[in-house]
Amino acid sequence: MAYSDKVVDHFNNPRNMGSFKKDDADVGTGMVGAPECGDVMKLQIKVQNDTIVDAKFKTFGCGSAIASSSLATEWLKGKTIEEAQKIKNTDIVQELNLPPVKIHCSVLAEDAIKAALADYQKKTDGQPTGTK
Amino acid sequence: MGYTPCRLLLMDNQQSPPHPDTRRQLQMARSMCWHCQSEVTGEYFCDRCVKVQPVSKETDYFTCLGFPRRLLLDPQKLEAKFYELSRTFHPDFYQTKSADEQTISLSNAAVLNTAYRTLRDSIQRAEYLLALETGSVKDIRTSPPADLFEEILDLQDTLEEYRASERDSDQGHRLRATLQTEQEALERRKEGMEAQLRQLFADWDKLQDAGEATSLARVERDRILKEMRDLLSNRTYVNNIVNDLAATIA
Repeated sequence: MAYSDKVVDHFNNPRNMGSFKKDDADVGTGMVGAPECGDVMKLQIKVQNDTIVDAKFKTFGCGSAIASSSLATEWLKGKTIEEAQKIKNTDIVQELNLPPVKIHCSVLAEDAIKAALADYQKKTDGQPTGTK
Repeated sequence: MGYTPCRLLLMDNQQSPPHPDTRRQLQMARSMCWHCQSEVTGEYFCDRCVKVQPVSKETDYFTCLGFPRRLLLDPQKLEAKFYELSRTFHPDFYQTKSADEQTISLSNAAVLNTAYRTLRDSIQRAEYLLALETGSVKDIRTSPPADLFEEILDLQDTLEEYRASERDSDQGHRLRATLQTEQEALERRKEGMEAQLRQLFADWDKLQDAGEATSLARVERDRILKEMRDLLSNRTYVNNIVNDLAATIA
């Protein structure tokens, strides 16, 4: 099975690889894994005034998993929390042309986004966000 | 042809009658002969017309190989049964039979191969049992082991550093030594997990052998499945990074 050009591009030049301090108040961290294949994904967002100003990821897994999380961080930047909630794994599948056997990689990326958003929202704990 | 595969099975049945559960499940899976429409009570052949019967898609791999749903199976018995059934369904013995029978024997042989490949490996066997017992593995949602994930991702960084370094430099040697230590530690951890798994396998078999339907048994069943799910997942994560480490520093 051949990877699409977009996957190869994200794999060779991953965007936004790295991490933020997960204890920072303006950072949300999503840490997820796929027990079926053993892939691990960490995705973090930095939020100001309800908007995601930066995003980073670290992924241990196959090319598709790396590409999915790399793409996710690109998409997250500049989005509001509400907009970010709407990112679906199918969007990632479409953009990267993932074959059926690799769809779970995009599911993992969506889970990571959801987990990062949830973590951030738990930190702000219902207070109006972005006052910092 | 003088060969009647049926006899082979009958002889075997006399030696070790199939587990009652197995027999019931088989009857539920397919109760009528495709050829003569009489009720099928034999395992793989119609008693009346001696035609080979298709192994149903719903028949699980344990039933298919004539074993109860246990996790500590004797590999030799499993292999012996596999060889025996392989002979039973071998397409060579169906060359002179009808096209239907040839198709059935071929598809049975294929199912049998998959069943054996799955059950002969204790980890795959446990994964398979979990899927059977919980409908879908995803039904047991486990909380991701965050500490383990952090560790794996940190190791990943060190691995990247090593890949980018000059192998013969001081830094290369230092990183390699670090990775080797990590690999050994992780391998020990994996062995520890496998020992815990074997204990859970024994717990599961014991519970099944007791066959009680009490609420206490139910609680114990759920505990075993949940712990098994966690351990199998974590083992997969550890296994992946160990393989990656081994391949990189080899």
